Amino acid sequence: MLTRLFKDFKNGLWRENPIIVLVIGMCPTLAVTNTVENGLAMGIATSFVLLSSEIVISLFKNYIPNNVRIPSFILIIATFVTFTDYFLKAFFPDIAASLSLFIPLIVVNCLILGRQEAFASKNPTHRAIADALGMGIGFTWVLVVLSAMREFFGMGSIFGIEILGSWYQPMVIMILPAGAFISLGILVGIMNAIKRRGN
Amino acid sequence: MDTKISKLVLTLTVIGIISAVALSFVYQWTNPHIQQHQAEARQRAIRAVIPEAEEFEEVEKKGNTFYEGFDSGGNRVGVAMIASGPGYQNVIEIMIGVNINEEKIYGIKILSHEETPGLGARITGEEYKSNFVDKPFGDYTVVKRDTQTDLEVEAIAGATISSRSVTKIVENAVKQIQDAYGGGA
Repeated sequence: MLTRLFKDFKNGLWRENPIIVLVIGMCPTLAVTNTVENGLAMGIATSFVLLSSEIVISLFKNYIPNNVRIPSFILIIATFVTFTDYFLKAFFPDIAASLSLFIPLIVVNCLILGRQEAFASKNPTHRAIADALGMGIGFTWVLVVLSAMREFFGMGSIFGIEILGSWYQPMVIMILPAGAFISLGILVGIMNAIKRRGN
Repeated sequence: MDTKISKLVLTLTVIGIISAVALSFVYQWTNPHIQQHQAEARQRAIRAVIPEAEEFEEVEKKGNTFYEGFDSGGNRVGVAMIASGPGYQNVIEIMIGVNINEEKIYGIKILSHEETPGLGARITGEEYKSNFVDKPFGDYTVVKRDTQTDLEVEAIAGATISSRSVTKIVENAVKQIQDAYGGGA
């Protein structure tokens, strides 16, 4: 049983990674990865919403009629997203200000609804927790790598700490939306190359 | 079929009620903190745009909220207000502080904006904001070279639209303040 739980957990990290393999949840992936701080905060916020809603939905799945499962899931997800929004605004106002409307937009992140539909509504709670942790960490690490690439080339810094000196001419395109597509493309390409070699 | 529909309605209603109750507790818990952060940010902004003021007072005039700043002797040294207008991507909100007696702007502070990072976002930088420090009231021209008169504003390279937007907001705010405080009085 432990090996199965571990398999559920590992699934999201690599084999079915939400961003680079399933390519879902693209809106926050492209929009907020211009600095590592933003990327990490978005990853953690999304993981929290994913974990809490997978727990609640897997607990109450037998009481939710099939016809209204999607609106029910959205209601539950929206509750946790609103909670996260208030919480960040109250205790991390700087992060809340820089992520602004992308926090409420977690509601429509298809990663979260997708996992409820594909996993939490069909599996027991302990497996849903493993799945949510794996998917959440899988989502977060890709956001962090992506935002590190963009912040490094676009501003010459990581986590707001200057790495490259003043001689470096920042590639502004990397922190603009176009830079998100370019870095994501490169990242997916690298992952596919690694996978192919593995086979 | 009827019983089924009632069950669907009941399910969604129950979830909705539970969510609403839970969130109202969260709101009560977090809202004082949120209010406090906003008030602090506003205080800091007013302090930044009326440097000589020690005490502040909120005043409603002609449908706008103004913040009057008083020095330690109780004299009104300046008036600040929050002004906003369209930027390049979204609304830009600024705090502006003026000296009414001398008809000049003390300075501005950008409260919120969504301008392009690295380009338009430089409206928050000292270099651009210094355009409005100790500036006389009037109609400003945005120029793409060094400023030659007091009524010129030097644009940020590559972000002329953002530079113009802020200038426009400043002009309108000055007019509103003059309107409310009756010219030089």
